This record gives sequence, C-alpha cells and structure tokens, in this order.
Amino acid sequence: MKPLASRLGLFLVFWLMIAGYAPGDLPVGLAAAALATWASLRLLPAGNGRVRLLPLVGLALHFFRQSVSAGAQVAWLAFRPSMPIHPGFIAYATRLQWAGARNAFCALSSLLPGTLPAGSDDHGSLSIHCLDVDQPVADDLAEEEGLFLQMVRDD
Amino acid sequence: MKSVADIFTIVAVCAGSFFFLAGTVGLLRFPDSLTRLHALTKADNLGLGLVVLGLLPQANGFLGGLKLVAVWLLVQLAGATVAQVIAEALRRRGPPP
Amino acid sequence: MTEFLLGAAGFILLTVTVGLVRILAGPGNIDRTAAAQLLGTGGIAALLLVAGATGARGAEDVALGLALLAAFASVAFVNSVEQRPSDNAERADP
Repeated sequence: MKPLASRLGLFLVFWLMIAGYAPGDLPVGLAAAALATWASLRLLPAGNGRVRLLPLVGLALHFFRQSVSAGAQVAWLAFRPSMPIHPGFIAYATRLQWAGARNAFCALSSLLPGTLPAGSDDHGSLSIHCLDVDQPVADDLAEEEGLFLQMVRDD
Repeated sequence: MKSVADIFTIVAVCAGSFFFLAGTVGLLRFPDSLTRLHALTKADNLGLGLVVLGLLPQANGFLGGLKLVAVWLLVQLAGATVAQVIAEALRRRGPPP
Repeated sequence: MTEFLLGAAGFILLTVTVGLVRILAGPGNIDRTAAAQLLGTGGIAALLLVAGATGARGAEDVALGLALLAAFASVAFVNSVEQRPSDNAERADP
C-alpha cells in the first residue's frame, strides 16, 4: 500500500509541474497519475530497496558537480590538439544486488567524467566504457558506490 | 541598461552554447563510436543544463520555471538510459571490421 | 534579449546539424541511433530558447514530447536489433 500511495503522489506532483494547476483539469491529472502508477508498479515492482531522502539531496548535489566536470573534461579533450585518451572497457564488480539500485547507479555513473556503463557481462559485473583506462576508474567507481549506498538500503 | 537577470541569462546561455560546440567538436574528433557517445552525452547534457539555468529568470512565473526543470530532468533521465543502451549494443557488436 | 536568445538557438542548431552529419555517416545503424540523443538535447535546447524568445505557448510541451519520443525510439530500435543473432546480420544486408 505504501509504495502505491507514494508513487501516486510523486506522479501527481510531476503532472502538476508539467501541466500547471487548474481545478477543472485535476481529474485528468489524477487519471494520468493512476495510469503511471499502474505502469510503474508493473515494470518496477516495489523491492526491498529503500531510498533515504536526506542523503539523496547531498548525492544529487555531488552528482551535479560531477556532471559539470564530466562536460568540462569532454570539452577540454575535444579542444586539445593532442587528445590524450586511451578508450577501453573495464569490468566492475558491483556490490549492489537489487536491480533497481543497479540501474539507478548505472544512470548516475553515466554522468561521471570518463565513464559510460554498457550493460553487464556474463559474470554479472558491470561493463564500463572508459575514455582513459589508465585512470583509476574502478577505485573512483567504488567511492561513488559507497556514497550511493548511504542513500539506498540495498538488501 | 540590462538587468541582473538578463546578464545572468546571457552568461549561462553563452556557456551552454559553448558546451554544445564542444560536444560537436568532440563528435568530429573522437576516434570511435563509443568515445563519440561520451562527447555527445556529457557535453550536450551540460550544455542543456546551462541553457535551462539561463532561461529560468525569463520563465513565465514559478510554474513556468518548474516546467523547464521538469524538461531538463526528463532529458537527463532519458539521456542516461539511452546512452547506456546504445553503449551496450555497440559493445555486443564488437569493434567494426 | 529576444535577438540574443534566437541567436543562441541558431548557433546550437548549427552545432546539432554538423553533429548530425557526422553521426549519420555511421558506420553502423546502432551508431546512427545516437542522432536521436543529439536531437534530444540540442534540439530541445534550441526549442526552449525559441520559446523563451518568442513567448510561444506550448513550445515546452513540444520539447517534452521530443525528449520522450527520442528516448523511446532509441530503446525500441536497439531492442529490435538485439533480437537478431548479431548486428553483423544487419551489416551484411546491402
């Protein structure tokens, strides 16, 4: 019952953001939010994972800063005549178990400088494409994963 | 005489345009499809973020601003997903012959 | 301000066009899917700038629709390719 109510609320707020508030339109918004809740519960059933709100804000700010430096890094590489990149894949064994948490972490790490997740390999490790495989990518990812784990309870 | 809000808009939109230019330069110069995908997603995302930030003072009231932020959030979410899906498909295909 | 925003929109559209030319050169169809991603950010930035410049109502809604459609189109296309044994089959076709 609880995931249903919180998702319904979230979708309704999002609908209000997009459509604007008008009392006459509210039934349409409620219907849209109900449909979205139904689809989301079907596609992503409520798992054991929990999201803690306060660390979420800190994490959002952290990843916001990271995505700025990721964009700056690409700009710097693009304009540099020598372009020092060594692209390649690394396998990263993630500690995250819940699929939802994994997906969220992959989405976040696609914003990090120099990394782009490209699915899982046959051994269940994440396959990460890096702009520079000589960088300590796995260590950086482990650090980011630690921050991420403060936000989700993954069990 | 321009207001502070207008100057903020001009600075942020110029910075955003710069990152779109950087993304395209990266797209032209990077050696393979996967590195080009890096250029595309990271530089352009930041460019869009700065453009949205710059447009906020010009937005049509509080709700207009919220809507701009909603567009930006959706594009981020969609972009993060699409980039991974394309990257995985490119990895499965392997290096081009 | 209107001229500035329209100018910025034009500039971004120009970078998107140059990028599109590069992406559509391939080599494969999966590589070309990234064009949707490029349109999904650059096209939307230009659209939002035009909306801010002209005050045209509904342009943000078009931007939202474009963002969602670009994402769905890419995911659907990649899934349809993945169902085949490999992308090489696609390459072998003339």
